[in-house]
Amino acid sequence: MMDSAPAAVQPIARLVGAARRYQRGAEEVHALEAIDLEVQPGEWLALVGPSGCGKSTLLNLLSGIDQPDEGTVEVGGLALASATEGQRTLLRRRGIGIVFQSFHLVPHLTVEENVALPLALDRRRDPARVAALLERVGLGARATHFPSELSGGEQQRTALARALVHRPKLVLADEPTGNLDSASGARVLELLDELRREDGSALVIATHDGRLAARADRLLRLADGRSVFHGDPKDDPGPPR
Amino acid sequence: MILRALFLRPLLRAPLRFLATLLGITAGVAAFVATLASNRAALASLREDTRALAGVAELEISSSALVPVESLGVLRPLSADAELLPVIEELVLEPKSGAVLRLFGIDPLQDSRARGFAADAGAGELALRTLRGEGVWIGAPLAHTLGVVPGGRFEVEAHGRVFELELLGTLPADRASGPFETAIVCDLGLAERITGRNGRLDRIELLPRPGVSQVELEKRARALLPPGLELRSTGARAAQTEGLVHSLQFNLIALSGISLLVAGVLVATALATSVVQRRKTLALLVSLGAGRWELVSALLVEALTLGLLGGLLGAFGGYAAAHAIVPAMRATLTTVVGSGPVSPVRFEGDLILLGVLLGLCVAAASAVLPLFEILRTPPLQSLSRERPDWLSPRARVGAIGIAILAALLAVELLKLPAWNGLPIPALGSATALLAALFALQSPLCDGIARLSARIPRLLVIAGPLRLALAALAAGRRRSAWAAGAVGMSVALSVAIATLVHSFRTTVVEWTASSLRSDLQVRALAPPGGVPIGTLDPEIVSTTARVFGADAIDPYTTGAAECEGRRITLVGAAVDVVARRGGFGYRDGRDSREVLARALATKACVVSEAFALKFGHKENDTIRVETPGGLLERRIEGVFYDYGDSQGTVIVDLEYFRPLYPGRSARHIEVYLPEDADLDAERAKLVAALGGRFQVEILTKPELHASVLSVFDRTFAVTNALVLVNAFVAVIAVLTVLFALLRERAADLALLRALGASRLELGAQVTLQSGLLGLLGATGGALTGLWIGVVLVTVVNLQSFGWTLEFHRPWSAIGGVLAAVGSACLVAGLVPAWLAGRAGMSVVLREEG
Repeated sequence: MMDSAPAAVQPIARLVGAARRYQRGAEEVHALEAIDLEVQPGEWLALVGPSGCGKSTLLNLLSGIDQPDEGTVEVGGLALASATEGQRTLLRRRGIGIVFQSFHLVPHLTVEENVALPLALDRRRDPARVAALLERVGLGARATHFPSELSGGEQQRTALARALVHRPKLVLADEPTGNLDSASGARVLELLDELRREDGSALVIATHDGRLAARADRLLRLADGRSVFHGDPKDDPGPPR
Repeated sequence: MILRALFLRPLLRAPLRFLATLLGITAGVAAFVATLASNRAALASLREDTRALAGVAELEISSSALVPVESLGVLRPLSADAELLPVIEELVLEPKSGAVLRLFGIDPLQDSRARGFAADAGAGELALRTLRGEGVWIGAPLAHTLGVVPGGRFEVEAHGRVFELELLGTLPADRASGPFETAIVCDLGLAERITGRNGRLDRIELLPRPGVSQVELEKRARALLPPGLELRSTGARAAQTEGLVHSLQFNLIALSGISLLVAGVLVATALATSVVQRRKTLALLVSLGAGRWELVSALLVEALTLGLLGGLLGAFGGYAAAHAIVPAMRATLTTVVGSGPVSPVRFEGDLILLGVLLGLCVAAASAVLPLFEILRTPPLQSLSRERPDWLSPRARVGAIGIAILAALLAVELLKLPAWNGLPIPALGSATALLAALFALQSPLCDGIARLSARIPRLLVIAGPLRLALAALAAGRRRSAWAAGAVGMSVALSVAIATLVHSFRTTVVEWTASSLRSDLQVRALAPPGGVPIGTLDPEIVSTTARVFGADAIDPYTTGAAECEGRRITLVGAAVDVVARRGGFGYRDGRDSREVLARALATKACVVSEAFALKFGHKENDTIRVETPGGLLERRIEGVFYDYGDSQGTVIVDLEYFRPLYPGRSARHIEVYLPEDADLDAERAKLVAALGGRFQVEILTKPELHASVLSVFDRTFAVTNALVLVNAFVAVIAVLTVLFALLRERAADLALLRALGASRLELGAQVTLQSGLLGLLGATGGALTGLWIGVVLVTVVNLQSFGWTLEFHRPWSAIGGVLAAVGSACLVAGLVPAWLAGRAGMSVVLREEG
């Protein structure tokens, strides 16, 4: 009988010593410094910290929208620094789903079209999946409406469906409930968690909301671009004084 | 502060948009000023040359034919009141260079007060030689051009004969400018020999003696005036010539006015775009308490700055462009008035002022709609709740209603007659059609985008197309402006193409059916011009001897008047032409039948332009005043003719000759047997004429090609206008695309974040540009075709009295559409490239 030791689980995303700096006039802003991070498949990681601490920058590095000045970023086994523009584009198209704070729906595409957009970009069609997702987020009856005809909560649910329609391995959400009232925010969050679990997607969510962060599997607290806590949310000491 | 926030800062941060708009308005004003300046140069030539040649004389005695030298004797009692200055003036050709020169025969002894040539001739041997007609005087620059020095010789051709002239001396610089730059001054006797006038003058100028008023002189001269002669001011002659080109000038200016209209659309597009781009700033200022008037003032300052700068640059650019247009204008005028010496384009303050005013007016008018956009901007707090830019049902009905009203107005205007001989209502109709086209663009953009949203799975089947249509809808107002600008440009180009194609096809068919002679003998022509002057009578007799008198038609013309207006009376060998036929007749009868009846009944035939000008038809009787008396004839037929817009009456030579004694033929039509070898027959005539004459003998195919060549030169100037309009339209598309790109930066960044490649974004923007072009071009082509019908069937008929057959210029339309479509796609390339370069993170963060 062979020894069947469990295979090591490969992280879906890995940052090693990642740093990102901006030039603002004569001043150099350290948006991120020496970040080491691994995101495991299916886990929920919360990024917390005050405004300007580097949460959005970290999400941009993970999505390949931005490149680190130092260190490496690997997503889905692809080293983003050495990847071509085309490879990064394909990664975003097939492997990543993004939810923005201000929804960012295309105003003159219908709800259904907005949701189908990632599939269309990949020259795929899956009307059943689009319809099913719209039903799941409670917008089945509003498929042919335009974003301007929806409430803020409905718009964000549309954005959720869009982020998950292509079954990405990694979902990035930047303050997804920031523009919603608390009831709508809670509903959106439940949906997000539910849907990404069904597909086994990892979720990295940047948030100010302590209650939301407390529901995550792990928490990374940032302050001035540096990691000040990384671990179980229950152990989070809170913002540094 | 508001001005700085809304205008100065954005200008400094995005100077390209400002410069592109400035370029557009500059091009529009430049096209207008260039047309006007070159027109002025042409008219100034006609007017000033007449005045300068007359010197200080204000009155002259002339005739629609020539003035018999015996008239000097009849007028002798006037010599106590005025100096009587006989003048022979005729255009001749310098065969080596092909230069058209003005032979100016005067009495040097009497001319000292009028033009001062007596002083130039000096005294002694030179003066005597001048009086003996042994040589001529020309300006030093002309002598340099011809490569001749005093004592040397050069040749001129007149009436088919070549003369060798000795240059006695050069005129002083102050008398070698203006029309004298190309003048050959000599004694009347020599001029008479060269022109073969046989005792006939062009005019007798009257120069009042000191103490005699012009009014008194006019009164006394009128009392002595022999029959057939008229007394008129030198200005009246200039005005008469100007009248010949009046319609042509008006139509050219009207065409260039459309360039200005397209420029206006461009400015409006740019202003509307700038308002939308600064919508958040505007909304913030409203929230902070800025008054609407302050915001409106800021936009007006921007508009007027554009207008002022564009007007100034356009006016100066127009002057520069006018220099380039003048040769085309000269070619055009040459075909209308027979000679085309055009004055240099002069720098005139009033045209600069006009350019600036046009720029300001266009900019101010273009600011009206963007001003409404400002007035609609809500405070910042309400901005986010605004619905996207779909067209409301009310606005849609309003736009379609305006388009229908404009189309109805266009139809009604077409029913009105010409105003003062100018096709103003018809041109108004064309403008109304353009307005209808423009009004429809907004509902069209909106409708197409809405329709695309209803096509199931379009996003999946044709993703970039669906996204491009969504982008079009997102910037509907700007898209409508750009499509409108493209539409106007295409409409203008297609309209001109339709006119030129219809005209050319008609002329080709007319040439084939009407010009049936096998050979045409005519005087030499300058390069690119029409033949100058008449043929020596010996050429006519030699031709008759070679081919037989019954095979030739010596086509002879004379100026005459009908109901006080100038017409051309033609003497033709009607019996000869009637055998072979020629010209198409309005009532569809065979020309041989018409001409045979005209000959049998001593009737005349008239051109369509004549019939329309005087409202005559077949079987009406007309009265034509000629130098030899009144001619009364019944009209047997009305023929189509595209060579003369004054109106032509043709009678048999038998009746013409007594009215214009000694008048020689302008050209000779030779009719040969059908199997004749034209080259051999031509060689026979050349041999018979020997070396004594220099004439042009064209075979039928050469004549037909020559007619089309003149036609093509005449319309050369229209090509420049088409180019200017295409240029302005491309700038409009570029301006809008840049603006849409900026407005949609977040959408494009989102698509990138969702996995769209740079190439896909570029394709989408290029597709969007192509859609704008397609939308504008389709409407523009249809409108242009309709305006072309108006130009062909109404404007042309009212301006020149010529019926043209409408021919659909499919190949030209295809060419215009391909050119504009490509231009729009190319215009989309830069924004497409920029779209791919846009930073995703920055844009998304800004929006969040």
